[in-house]
Amino acid sequence: MSPSEIKLPDYRSLAPAVAARFERIRERPVILSVRDLKKSFGANGSTHVVFDHLSLEIHRREFICAVGPSGCGKSTLARIVAGLDEASGGEILLNGESVAGPGPDRGMVFQGYTLFPWLTVKRNVMFGLQMSGKAPSTADTEARQWLDMVGLSKFEESYPHELSGGMKQRVAIARALANNPRILIMDEPFGALDAQTRAQMQNYLLQIWKKVDVTILFITHDLDEAAFLSDRIIVMGVNPGGIREVIENPVPRPRSPAQFISPEFLALKKRLEHHIHPPVEGEPAEKLPMIKLTDAGDEVE
Amino acid sequence: MANHDWLGLKQELPRRRRLLLTAASFLAPLLVWCVLSYVPWVWHPLMHITDAGSVDYFSTGLDVPRATFFQEVAKAQAAGLDVPQGDRVNPPYLPAPHEVVRAFYTAFKTPPRLQDEPWLHQSLGHSIRTIFLGFFFSSLIGLPLGILSGTYRFFAKLQEPFIEFFRYLPAPAFGALCVAILGIEDAPKIAIIVIGTFFQQVLVIANSVRKVDPALIEAAQTLGASKWKLVSRVVIPASITDVYTDMRILLGWAWTYLIVAEVVGTMSGITLFINQQARYRNFDNVYAAIAMIGIIGLTTDIFLAWLGTVLFPWKKKNRKPRTHTLFPLFDPIPLNPPKRKEVQLEAHVAQ
Ligand SMILES: Nc1ncnc2c1ncn2[C@@H]1O[C@H](COP(=O)(O)OP(=O)(O)O)[C@@H](O)[C@H]1O
Ligand SMILES: [Mg+2]
Repeated sequence: MSPSEIKLPDYRSLAPAVAARFERIRERPVILSVRDLKKSFGANGSTHVVFDHLSLEIHRREFICAVGPSGCGKSTLARIVAGLDEASGGEILLNGESVAGPGPDRGMVFQGYTLFPWLTVKRNVMFGLQMSGKAPSTADTEARQWLDMVGLSKFEESYPHELSGGMKQRVAIARALANNPRILIMDEPFGALDAQTRAQMQNYLLQIWKKVDVTILFITHDLDEAAFLSDRIIVMGVNPGGIREVIENPVPRPRSPAQFISPEFLALKKRLEHHIHPPVEGEPAEKLPMIKLTDAGDEVE
Repeated sequence: MANHDWLGLKQELPRRRRLLLTAASFLAPLLVWCVLSYVPWVWHPLMHITDAGSVDYFSTGLDVPRATFFQEVAKAQAAGLDVPQGDRVNPPYLPAPHEVVRAFYTAFKTPPRLQDEPWLHQSLGHSIRTIFLGFFFSSLIGLPLGILSGTYRFFAKLQEPFIEFFRYLPAPAFGALCVAILGIEDAPKIAIIVIGTFFQQVLVIANSVRKVDPALIEAAQTLGASKWKLVSRVVIPASITDVYTDMRILLGWAWTYLIVAEVVGTMSGITLFINQQARYRNFDNVYAAIAMIGIIGLTTDIFLAWLGTVLFPWKKKNRKPRTHTLFPLFDPIPLNPPKRKEVQLEAHVAQ
């Protein structure tokens, strides 16, 4: 029996505890509200519309994951919310106020490593604090606290190139959080890490999120990651671009890797996979043309 | 290490081999020079006459071509007269290594022939001063303009097209103008070095600044940096190591303009020294003076490279402890960082 044949519960049926949690989240104030967002590239004539009429509301301390196939506009959405790209239409409201351009109220962690190589780990974390005019001694103390939280106190005087990829991203998270942003935008932050480090980082992130009053918009193409981390999952698509479905994650918190085989988790993942790799009706997957380059008689299948 | 390939494409050579090759790069040309100078049957196109014999136009101490000498020897033998004697020598413009090495010492010790002529060290000092001032004035304007141009497209478009045009004009072409405007002393010489350096400097530095990773700027923006802070706290530190390397290379170029600059107006500095010594046919001194330029240039550059590793500690790739003190001059590796962690730890344990 293959996993797809196992009888799974409906991904929309929430356990009472989970449903109650979503009820509580909905009662919280809306931190980020995206209204009728449109983004197109290229001048008149050959415009490429990435998405249009994209609307979304994120509540305080909610953990939102956005998934979708490559090129569906996940990064574009993240960058517009962060203020790094301009929208072609619509608006972004933060705490009810319209925002344009980047600012310290929206922190960002990028997929690539963007720690400043000329600053020590501690000074990287102090950067935003100094930009907002905090006294050096205050910034120093706060930076140490943040490094403590991500477990990197021992490396405060190291330079970024002396850290591993996972450690760099932990510093990047600390650096973004030190600014006390209303929302933390993370664009595939663990995409460049190996599987083991990535799993570790997901755990770290959940622990940090529990301790800090921050709302997270987490972009990923890893469905397991989205299912493991999120409260709600935004599924985006291409042609036409935009949000396909917003799913309330049925997996109860606190999360643990053991839940990867729980029925809710599998049901959710099956639904996500249905969106990302839709089954093509009728015809089987296209076969690659067969040209045989070996005749050693060692059939591999 | 044992099966390390000497000609491996990508792998870094072991340190011993790097030093060996560095030494070889200097020793190989020196060896050629030694062979030419000390092996009598290699080249040595002249005969230094020790005994003129019966040849009336020969005299002791005269250098004559070998062919002429042996013709005369043959003639003398045929006539049964005294045969001239001589040794194979090189022309005076190729002194032997030991003569040049001796000149390094004697050139500094020998007083100039005329009262108002400079000593070698004075000539060198004058040249270094000219270079330094020229490079300083060029950088004073070139550095900010380059950074501005590399940061803002507005300034790039505003100044780079003209600079692109101007940098094709050879600096020496401005010699006569500089003299007419600035007189015949040091000012026109410094101006030539400025003209030779400045335009390249703006373009090269703008280019390095432009290469700053945009992701770093975006990261800084999301952390609340804007406008001038973005330039002073991100763009400049992010490009400073490249700009520093550019400045080192540009300083090397400034040296190549020195000799041209020093013949403008009244000849001065090391150029004057070289010219006079050549006129007196003290070719060993000429070579010593030319080599001095190379030595000063190279040591400055090695010093600046080392200074770079001190100024920009984040560039240290492998913080290995330094074991020798002399050789690293030619192969600078970063100094070991202060071991703050361990010290703290020990203090902790001690408590
Ligand atoms: N600067 C740009 N110019 C033109 N098209 C772009 C640009 N940036 C992104 N796009 C297009 O927008 C679409 C969404 O890109 P992106 O947001 O990076 O996708 P994702 O992050 O989901 O993989 C892609 O089709 C891409 O080709
Ligand atoms: Mg992307």
